[in-house]
Amino acid sequence: MKRIYNTALAFLLLATSCNSVLDEPAENKAFSEGADYTKSADMILPAIGVYAKLYELGWETYPLIAVRGDDVNAGGLGDQQDYAETDNYRYNKDYWMYNSLWEGFYTIIYNTYTAEDQIIKYQSAGADSQLAQRYIADAYVVRGFLLLQLSRVWGDIFIPEDYDPSHLLTTPVATKDEVMTYISELMDKAIPALQDIHPKDRVDIPGGATKHTALAVKALANLELKNYQVVAEATSQIIQSDRYALEPDFYELFKLKGKLNKENLFELQYSDFGKGAGDYKSYLYAFFGPQSWTPKVEGIGGGWGFFEPSLKYIKFMLDRGETIRLETSVLFTDRGIAEIQKDARYAGLPSWVSNTTRSGDVINDFNRALFSSGKHYMPSDQYIPGRTSWGENKNFQCIRYAEILLMHAEALTQGAKGSALSADEAVNLVRTRSGLTRLTNVTNQQVMDEKYAELAMEWGTRFYDMVRLEKYDELSYDGRTFSPGLIYLPYPQSQVDQLPGLREKK
Amino acid sequence: MKSKQFLFLCMFLIPFVVSSQNNLTVKGVVTESATGYPAVGVSVFVKGTTNGTVTSVDGDYLLSNVPPTATLVFSFVGMITREVPVNGRTEINVFMEEDTQKLEEVVVVGYGTAKVKDLTSSITTIKPDEIMKTPAGQAMQALQGKVPGMQVISSGGPGKAPTVRIRGIGSYPKKDALNAEWLNNESPLYVVDGIFYNSIDFLNPSDITSISVLKDASSAAIYGVRAANGVVLIETKSGGYEKKTEVTFDGYFGYQYAQNVLKMANAEQFATMAMESGSSTDIKNISNAMQRYGRSRINPNVPDVNTDWFKEILRPASIENYSLDISGGSSKAAYSVGINYFDQQGILDMKNEYARYNFRSKLDFKATDWLTVGGNMIWSQATQYPEEKVAWNEAYYAIPILPVYDEANTQATPKPYASATDIGYRGGQNPFPAIDTYNRRNFIKNLLTNFYADIRIIPEKLTFKTSYNQAYTSREEREVKLPYYVTNSFQFANPEITKWTKTYSDVTWDNVLTFMNRFDKHNLTVMLGASYRDEYYSMLQAKAYRFPTEIEQSWYLDLAETIKADEVKDDGLRQYGLSYFGRVSYNFDNKYLLYGTLRADGSSKYQEKWGYFPTVGIGWVLSQENFMEDITAIDYLKLRASWGQLGNDKIPASDGALTTTILTAAINDVLVSGTTVSGVFSSLGWELTEEINLGFSSDFLQNRLKLEADYYIRDTKNAAISVSIPAVGGTVVKNVGIIRNSGFEFALNWNDAVGSDFRYTIGLNFSTLKNEVRDLYGQPYVDGGTAEFRQRSIVGQPLLAFYGYEIVGVYQNEAEIQADPIARANGLVPGDFKYKNQNGDDVINDDDRVVLGSYFPTLMLGGNLGVGFKNIDLSVNFMGQSGNKILNRKRGNYIWTNDTNLDADLAINRWHGEGTSDKYPSSAGLRKGWNQKMSDYFVEDGSFFRIQNVQIGYNLLNKHWWGVDIPAIRISLTADRPLTVFKYNGFNPEIPDGIDTQTYPVPATYTLGLNIKF
Repeated sequence: MKRIYNTALAFLLLATSCNSVLDEPAENKAFSEGADYTKSADMILPAIGVYAKLYELGWETYPLIAVRGDDVNAGGLGDQQDYAETDNYRYNKDYWMYNSLWEGFYTIIYNTYTAEDQIIKYQSAGADSQLAQRYIADAYVVRGFLLLQLSRVWGDIFIPEDYDPSHLLTTPVATKDEVMTYISELMDKAIPALQDIHPKDRVDIPGGATKHTALAVKALANLELKNYQVVAEATSQIIQSDRYALEPDFYELFKLKGKLNKENLFELQYSDFGKGAGDYKSYLYAFFGPQSWTPKVEGIGGGWGFFEPSLKYIKFMLDRGETIRLETSVLFTDRGIAEIQKDARYAGLPSWVSNTTRSGDVINDFNRALFSSGKHYMPSDQYIPGRTSWGENKNFQCIRYAEILLMHAEALTQGAKGSALSADEAVNLVRTRSGLTRLTNVTNQQVMDEKYAELAMEWGTRFYDMVRLEKYDELSYDGRTFSPGLIYLPYPQSQVDQLPGLREKK
Repeated sequence: MKSKQFLFLCMFLIPFVVSSQNNLTVKGVVTESATGYPAVGVSVFVKGTTNGTVTSVDGDYLLSNVPPTATLVFSFVGMITREVPVNGRTEINVFMEEDTQKLEEVVVVGYGTAKVKDLTSSITTIKPDEIMKTPAGQAMQALQGKVPGMQVISSGGPGKAPTVRIRGIGSYPKKDALNAEWLNNESPLYVVDGIFYNSIDFLNPSDITSISVLKDASSAAIYGVRAANGVVLIETKSGGYEKKTEVTFDGYFGYQYAQNVLKMANAEQFATMAMESGSSTDIKNISNAMQRYGRSRINPNVPDVNTDWFKEILRPASIENYSLDISGGSSKAAYSVGINYFDQQGILDMKNEYARYNFRSKLDFKATDWLTVGGNMIWSQATQYPEEKVAWNEAYYAIPILPVYDEANTQATPKPYASATDIGYRGGQNPFPAIDTYNRRNFIKNLLTNFYADIRIIPEKLTFKTSYNQAYTSREEREVKLPYYVTNSFQFANPEITKWTKTYSDVTWDNVLTFMNRFDKHNLTVMLGASYRDEYYSMLQAKAYRFPTEIEQSWYLDLAETIKADEVKDDGLRQYGLSYFGRVSYNFDNKYLLYGTLRADGSSKYQEKWGYFPTVGIGWVLSQENFMEDITAIDYLKLRASWGQLGNDKIPASDGALTTTILTAAINDVLVSGTTVSGVFSSLGWELTEEINLGFSSDFLQNRLKLEADYYIRDTKNAAISVSIPAVGGTVVKNVGIIRNSGFEFALNWNDAVGSDFRYTIGLNFSTLKNEVRDLYGQPYVDGGTAEFRQRSIVGQPLLAFYGYEIVGVYQNEAEIQADPIARANGLVPGDFKYKNQNGDDVINDDDRVVLGSYFPTLMLGGNLGVGFKNIDLSVNFMGQSGNKILNRKRGNYIWTNDTNLDADLAINRWHGEGTSDKYPSSAGLRKGWNQKMSDYFVEDGSFFRIQNVQIGYNLLNKHWWGVDIPAIRISLTADRPLTVFKYNGFNPEIPDGIDTQTYPVPATYTLGLNIKF
């Protein structure tokens, strides 16, 4: 019997000896604090992560940024009514897209903070400090670019202090001027750390930011502040670097040839990796595409029919005798052409205005819009066979050299002094590329018209230009009435509910 | 031994006694009234004599030498003894009732058993025949409406387990981010023969011999950290010592039919909505449809197509189940073996089915007089073809003016499908291309094994039991999406194949020492134990594109052109647990009861390793007191009270620190990896549940009426719920405060017989539930849900209540608009919603939002009615719930996409002119942001009442056909969930989190069953 007692006791005690297993760490978790920061070669990973996260940008963020100008309308008739309402300056803070833009951008912005934190850890553990500063500058440029967009849309917004979003609960919002000043100063920190090369020549991260990307973001922020002198100095530096040139073929700039083009200072990169199936990275361009088309190479899908170049823009371009820029910017349908011709002044259109693109793709009539954006179109003959989504394998330009030249000219015509090209020279570079005659003694109005023609459908540049110059008449078109009170969107309700800082603003 | 000799003697004496009187020979059959099965081994005696016999395996008896005026006494352990006057009859059939007082009934309570009379806590037990009535592959489905305080939410898909909740929840139900399956994180702990499970969907319901639901903290606390959501204890069938071999066949076959299929707008209603939408695109699309498909001859303004998509995708589906069990035992050994086959087809018209084979064996062996050893093995092997989930959504949204096939689409493969893109819509809308080309197959294998040794250290007093359990699950899953082409914008070009291999292993080693003693009026049981657990999980996933699709045999990753690099996933988990526990159960003179347990749980899952979970319970059996003796109506009355603390480990293991994720990017056309670090992380502490339970158990009127009631208050402290993250969106699980569930549970049973042929039972149970956020660590509210469909947890309100505007009505005319400054300010027109101005100011804004309801039912009821007449019996079960709200998220999708179909109720009752509707906006209004605010338009009443189960049985007992003894046969007809009544505009009011996006319809099942026992 004693033996049994002993056995029982032994069994009970046996279990206790396993106590240490409770301290086993969780499986398959890469804890950041457990990362080996002494592996300096890994310091690039968070920097690549900054771009990877940026390139994941949701399709639903761009439309609100870009739709309000007189260059483009909502399109997509019958669908996304509040998106169309926003285009008509009737805002709804409950509309889902407002919150999606806010959250989508802040998610990427926050990632720049955690990346910075990671890079500093590598640096403290012995990684090359110059390289570390460059990668931190990558994070700064992305952060600056996104904060710029958000502040253009909402005016006063949050500048996060660190990577923890819950700290926003006690953060007050910064005014738009504070945000732009912050961006400008952030770029000042980034500029010396970045290389004086074209982004495509970056060996570590081709297509990532360089000194000139940071200068461009700085110029954009100061343009908002109307610090034209600072704009001119920044653009002068970019121009003088001689790293950039306009792509001679404006049409192909927005196609396959646009990838890491000499003209691009900043772009979102996508790829099919040369294969007809399997891994791919793409922006969801379907948003922009026509609902119906007959591609020259069969089997490729159309889009949703949103983002319709405005009649005002098309007529403006026709009036100017524009050809390649109009042909590139707008995909015409027969229905759209008929609509233009309803205006007797445009009854006789040039023969190249057609629903067949230069690449031979036919855009069919569809209900939701009259036109589609040609800057977000990839010709069917440039696809890798097997790929079927609208716009696949196409990069998304963010800042082009043409914009730098025109910003430069804008600043000079606003009285700033530059050290590079004259306003005439800058504008004429852009005009010549598009087959237009040279101008002399360009006025600010001519520069703004050139920007309108050149940068339509791109990042709402036209809208923010008109807002900044208080040319509200331009924005009151096609039955819309714009007024200063409509410059900024209301904060998304969901954010107001969560963030006391926004409630105080309200 | 003694009784056998005695019987033998009796039989011997019979011939001598018979001759003295003109006595009768009486024969008959004794049946268990609850089951209709023959009652075997029942003693039958002539009252006041030693003349008697026992019933045979068929329940029949033959007793000679019975005086015509005598009374026969039928008795059996656990049954109410019956005395039947002979009155000169020669055939007396008797039904035996179970002894409802159950004085000696024993229930499984975790690491041991307890007498029901000693319980101080709230435990409900379910008997196997209750489970068997429900034709379902999942045992828990049979418990719907039967356990007060337990909510069982059906899942209609083949092989899918229902969601089970005991006494509300402290945590919020979550879906797996990857496959949208319910994680069942609020479900109870299942303990099958001592082994912990999160789901018991692999078990064959007829293998179960008992289910105990431990509802309150006091009963569940012995399971410590795993027990906060309640515990369901399951014992599988065993043999019996000295038991004659019993062979049982049980089977049913039947069909399932979709019920309450939601009526969608038909072509005419849809076209009318489109014409009234004010959207030229949608109007144009209608005429496009008429051009392509012709005009209806009845109404020339409607296309000549009227597709009822739900009708197209649904089908009647078979369900069948066959079990064979053999059990018995000798004086040394007891055994039970069984096999089972279950097959259920899905009601979705595609490869959607579930088939399962189970094998089972259990052996107990008395090795010596102090040692019993035993082992148990259950092998379950299932093949499941889950449905293509998008089917439900797509059928809901698909426009009725689109046919399934369009012969004009000659390019379309594999069939000439119709596409809505052909008539101007954004998407293809036809669900069939996706359904027809989808194939998901899960091979699921489950093994449950255990071994135990029971050592009697001091006979009748001290025993030691050690048991080693191994649960093992392997899942091989394969998802194949074959290519289809309808139009350029409605195609799936590159076939995809994804494979998963998942392995789960769970080892439990329990050592338990039990001491029992009786001295004078004291009864004491003490249990001490230790348990060690080792949980393991591993998963490997890979995805590839382009492989030979023609035959299934070539669906392999190896044959594919491209393996998707970022879809190769490898995951694993290893968690250890170490626990010490003890229980004291004391009873003085069967009057005063004292109960207590303590468990110390160690887990490697959380940063905080150890948790301690105590409980105490007291009971007072009033009916044993002298002063109650004269109250004859009361047979038994016990008051009980208990308190306990539990942990909840169903909340996810917290990261506790920033975590790194790999992200890839196309850098210069090269796929490059980078890392991203989340700035938000969960840092979770133990979720602690504390509960007080007060109740009574009672029997009245000669045990015919049984009444049980409980009241509980359950506080979940440090409750971990999903909280919205500001600025970046998404949610993170945080310990946010205290959530209280409280409620009243009540169960009544009436059981009686009229004469010897007719017996009946009536049961009724109901429970209330109040879910309330008590504290949020000082914050007034915490937001959850999504930005568009806000759910807010406010102190004093239910957890994650729906939050938005209240609708007063619909603006009917221009005069009403003009009279209302709010309508004018917002540019409203007749047909727009009029929201309630809660604060009475002159605007409608976010301050006018209120709580619109909660997804928790406040009242659940269940009941049953059983009637038996001679060999026929009928039982009816019903259940219902009320007070819960459902977010009709399907309607909500209109916010994002409005070129889709709508439900018929909305189409018919839309506002389309003054006085037409005060409930829904106009067709144009539905598209306006003003009317799309989160409001009670989206939040609907989720109450329902259901006839849960109706069964008619006929028992053939003791028959001799063609000179052969026929075994006991029961034939039954069952209608399971034949009728559900509700107002909600969806086709299933059972939504675990109250957000209806897509659910498998719950079918009604009709089966024919056969049970043979010999």
